[in-house]
Amino acid sequence: MAKSYKTVLMMGNPNVGKSALFNRLTGGDAVVSNYPGTTVDYTEGVLIVSGQEYEVIDAPGTYSLEARDAAEGVAVRLLAENPDAAVLIVLDATRVERGLYLVLEVIERGYPVIIALNMIDAARERQIAVDFRMLQKILGAPVVPTSAVSGEGVRDLAEMIRKAQRVDIAKVRARADGQFDEPETGCGLCGGC
Amino acid sequence: MALPAQDRWDLVDAITRRTVITGAYRRNLGDVLGDLTVKPLTGIPVAVAVLYAFWSIFCSFAGDLLTDGFMVKAFDNRWLPWLQGVWPDPASIHYFLFVGDPLAGNCFEAFGVLTSGLFVAIGVVLPAIFIFYLMMAVLEDSGYLPRLAVLTDTVFHRIGLHGYAIVPAILGLGCNVPAVTGIRVLETRKQRFIMMTLLAIFIPCGAQLGVMLEVIPDTMGWVMLFLIIGFGVFGFLLDRIIPGSNPEILVDVPAYHWPLWENVAKKLMNRTKSFLKDAVPFVLLGVLIVNLLYLVGVIDALAVLLEPVFVAWFGVPKETVGPLIAAFLRKDLAVAQLSTIAMTPYQMITAVVLVSIYFPCVATFVVMLQEGWRELLAAVGVLMVTVFVYGGLMHAIGILMGVA
Repeated sequence: MAKSYKTVLMMGNPNVGKSALFNRLTGGDAVVSNYPGTTVDYTEGVLIVSGQEYEVIDAPGTYSLEARDAAEGVAVRLLAENPDAAVLIVLDATRVERGLYLVLEVIERGYPVIIALNMIDAARERQIAVDFRMLQKILGAPVVPTSAVSGEGVRDLAEMIRKAQRVDIAKVRARADGQFDEPETGCGLCGGC
Repeated sequence: MALPAQDRWDLVDAITRRTVITGAYRRNLGDVLGDLTVKPLTGIPVAVAVLYAFWSIFCSFAGDLLTDGFMVKAFDNRWLPWLQGVWPDPASIHYFLFVGDPLAGNCFEAFGVLTSGLFVAIGVVLPAIFIFYLMMAVLEDSGYLPRLAVLTDTVFHRIGLHGYAIVPAILGLGCNVPAVTGIRVLETRKQRFIMMTLLAIFIPCGAQLGVMLEVIPDTMGWVMLFLIIGFGVFGFLLDRIIPGSNPEILVDVPAYHWPLWENVAKKLMNRTKSFLKDAVPFVLLGVLIVNLLYLVGVIDALAVLLEPVFVAWFGVPKETVGPLIAAFLRKDLAVAQLSTIAMTPYQMITAVVLVSIYFPCVATFVVMLQEGWRELLAAVGVLMVTVFVYGGLMHAIGILMGVA
């Protein structure tokens, strides 16, 4: 049974659409632009979905948890200051590989995670197909394709936040090599289906 | 459990191999434009054209169309005479504070809270920042800024920064407050300190640009030139004095997008709203405070005290002390006030440059303090030296050119 979290911390590489997604989820006024480093401080908002109230925090973009500049420092500090938060990691669907590094780092720190595969429309346009179900299976945490621009998938993402999962990195390693163990309790891998 | 970085990258590769299939990609117009605007041969002419277009649209729409064409007429021909007519007792203190000079023929000279204060805030600055932020939003949302950063990288390396410093610099032309926080995108303390100092000293904000456009349209180019030269010279010096490193630019250049109309409108609304809410009261309060200081004689006393520095060293009239006090509250107000003092064109250029480089406005000062008090103190130290040296230097240049 998934535990319910009160705080949702949004993290991800710079310029993947975190603030745009944050505005979609919370109706907030975070500034959205098309250049990395638009958000250098955090914004907080409230999301109410299925009777559950979440405090959502939009963090500045970061490539890893070793801060490279002061804005990334804010993101890393937010993660440390919210040990009970679920982390919503936003990936750019056109360059999934770049954001996965951060996903793994957050997983290793033991935070429950949920992934938004954002800019899915741009990926389709560029003939990039991401098998999000396979990604979900390997990571063992929910992966939801979204487009913050059109609003596609945002509703699903909001519903899925309660299913954010803590993941054992060793199992991710095994599954990435094709070793899928039998689900322990029914289809309990990620709760994403 | 934490993996070594290399294992983590291996795992990323393994996951990507199983989940991502990349099909044949056809380059589109955006990609072609993307390349053309970042390669120096084609990119630099485009950058010049973009900045020139930005500037001329700003001047013609904000200055000529909205302010001169509408606001000046409304305020000088309707509002001012009406207010001078209905406000009781022209000899009283409240008349002096709120309406100002009963004989004034325009809203700059009157200098009352409800005449000059309202006119500067609503008549001059509001149209200027509205147009400025509209174009800024288009620049921000298109994806052009990171390309400009790549293009200007070489130049910025000469002053201890890299190309991405152009982003806070351009933000600062709108308002220095978000620009100071925007400096966080730079990697080292040295870079952040240099940028914060140069920003606070040499980058005029949108409000100030708007007023300059209105009161000194003919000599504004010179003021900007002196500010740009100062930015370069003092950046070059700071780079040599401040210890620390300046890493290479590492920036993800995004694909071009058409700006989304809703997003542009939303940003424009929010920024205009925050100007009306946060800045307008400051302009009005600024006029009130300056008028009160005149009433109790503080400004005249300071003018006499500082006369040697102002007249002999900077070469400007001692009356410019008043605007310098206003400059701490609002730079736009200070420039407006300067315009009513009798000066030669060159003295006006010097005085406006001094108002720009002397002390950041109080709002900028507060955010600088939030980024670190040590940096703030050091920046203020550099600033004092800069004002003194650069002000004297400008006077000397004026003497040599025979125009001071």
